[in-house]
Amino acid sequence: MSESRSPRAKALLATAAVTALFAGTAFAQDGKLSLEGKTIGVTVIGTDHDWDLKAYQGQLDEIEKLGGEAIALDAGRNDQTQISQIQTLIAQQPDAIIEQLGNLDVLNPWLQKIKDAGIPLFTVDTATPLAINNTTSNNYAIGADLALQMVSDMGGKGKVLVFNGFYSVPVCKIRYDMMKYVLGSYPEVEIIEPELRDVIPNTIQSAYSNVTDMLTKYPNEGDVGAVWACWDVPQIGATQAIQAAGRKGVQTYGVDGSPEYVEMVADPDSPAGAVAAQQPYEIGKTAVDNVARHLAGQEVPPFTFLPAVLITKANAAETAGPFLPKK
Amino acid sequence: MTAATPVAASSAADPLPETGTGPNRRKALAALAIRLGALLTFAFIMLYFALTARGFLSAYNAFNVVEQSAILGVLAFGTAVVIVGGGAEVQTGGIDLSIAANAGLCAAVFATLSTAGFNPTVVLLATLGTGLAVGALNAFAVVGLGILPLLATLAVMNVAAGLELTLTENTVVSAASPVLAFLQTGRFLGVSTLAWTLILFSALMILVVHHTAVGPRLYAVGGHPEAARAAGLDVGAYVAGTYLFSGFCAAFASVLLVSRLSASTPGTGELLLSVLAAALLGTVFSRRFVPTMGGTLLSTLFIGFLANGFQLLGVSSYWVAGVQGALILLVVAVTSFARPQEH
Repeated sequence: MSESRSPRAKALLATAAVTALFAGTAFAQDGKLSLEGKTIGVTVIGTDHDWDLKAYQGQLDEIEKLGGEAIALDAGRNDQTQISQIQTLIAQQPDAIIEQLGNLDVLNPWLQKIKDAGIPLFTVDTATPLAINNTTSNNYAIGADLALQMVSDMGGKGKVLVFNGFYSVPVCKIRYDMMKYVLGSYPEVEIIEPELRDVIPNTIQSAYSNVTDMLTKYPNEGDVGAVWACWDVPQIGATQAIQAAGRKGVQTYGVDGSPEYVEMVADPDSPAGAVAAQQPYEIGKTAVDNVARHLAGQEVPPFTFLPAVLITKANAAETAGPFLPKK
Repeated sequence: MTAATPVAASSAADPLPETGTGPNRRKALAALAIRLGALLTFAFIMLYFALTARGFLSAYNAFNVVEQSAILGVLAFGTAVVIVGGGAEVQTGGIDLSIAANAGLCAAVFATLSTAGFNPTVVLLATLGTGLAVGALNAFAVVGLGILPLLATLAVMNVAAGLELTLTENTVVSAASPVLAFLQTGRFLGVSTLAWTLILFSALMILVVHHTAVGPRLYAVGGHPEAARAAGLDVGAYVAGTYLFSGFCAAFASVLLVSRLSASTPGTGELLLSVLAAALLGTVFSRRFVPTMGGTLLSTLFIGFLANGFQLLGVSSYWVAGVQGALILLVVAVTSFARPQEH
């Protein structure tokens, strides 16, 4: 490395290094990755949200690209359906199973059965010791960064409305716990009890009416400083509710990078404060690459993190571009 | 075999056996054609899956389907009994639209109380009490207030679904207990507890409904309430009893559900479509197009195999709901045309 490189080139190099680090062994023996003659089972709880669908699509595209055959199962957001699908999937004896999201309490006994059946288990966004590898974002960092941004925007004090309907989903648990951990250092930032419940389906409508009700209950400017959720679909409704109520001084914070919400964050007049935007398609694709590596006898780490970007009101002009809705 | 039994039973209590005259004869022939057609369609679809879907025929897969059908089966039996006791006319007859939502509520009660650390016996009794209470509400609305079952149970469905949401706040409530562990992982002769539950429950239903005095009376109450009343049967009590039984089935199914999912989860109400499909489909196996227990079991398993076959063939599970809806339409349409005129 010569010393004469421009700052821009240095930045690019640094980015490449970070990407390589995040992608783990991705650069080691790529090119030779293949799933020729392999059958990969993919079970997802649902594909009704942008994140879910992109991660699912990333897996299916990569399985096809590597020459494998996918048994792709979408449970339509019904836990019972997913369990039955996993049970039938075990009977089909694929070479590996990738499980994406869902409720860990419900899944655990069945993930155990996958393991007991001798089928290598990989997960997307589901942290469990039963999986050989979990491909995901660094949700610890996401949770802390988002919470710190929120505290900073609030000036270190005020009340937060928190949606906490999905604590049994591992990634939400991590983000929520990290948010609480950060708030531990800022005692003047309080969570309004009882917490709100985000739901699926009708996420946006339900969040809209919940937040509208809470703004009525806390009618004065300054009563509520922020709305937090572990993902961003409820925040679309929350942001609309704040706008409709004409309230100032309340901002929303979410995770995932759903195009509609990123657009709100990028809009200077919208009360959407920040979003941790992930790369679901890359996450899905990388999970499949990890399966291919494992089946080729290579070592695979217990988790692979894909980088996420914290898009804020301040940096949206530079960061939001790739995440905005495709026109 | 089992499908034939209730026909005899129902004819025994039938004061007006329709034989002989032209239109009735044609109807009887049409009914026979539908019955054979339904059986052939079942057989054809099974054969198609057997030939095209890898692993469909294996015993392991078959027992998987039986296990997966246990919850649906218990609920379908509950609905079938309500249809038998209330009469099989689609608009005015017996139906329990609240059964799936009731199961969801019972599951919520079961999981919430288990998590709160109550004694397993207390939890079971409370779950049973919840199911029966919802059943009693249906019975009161239908028998006491005389509301059409279709509307009464639709309203109660919303009450039950609302209570479930209130209790769980639409979240997953996990539950663990030795009873649940036994239900989830127990095996006898290589067959899982859940599969055994369906096998034994079906046997019991067939025995009670088709081989004891209760069955013919129930068919009489549903088919010819006036005649049944004249014969000294308390029609109201029988009909109320069917809704209580349906409530019991919801409670029973909820325990199986929580054991299978280690939790109560939102979305149990979505089972309603499958339950109705199973109960209504079961009617095509009887001459008079009333539900029979054997027919209900057969159609429950058919729906289970349908979902399973679709999965093995890589067809999206979303199609299953569409096919079930189409089946309900088809069965209701066909049986309405072919059902012998009762009055």
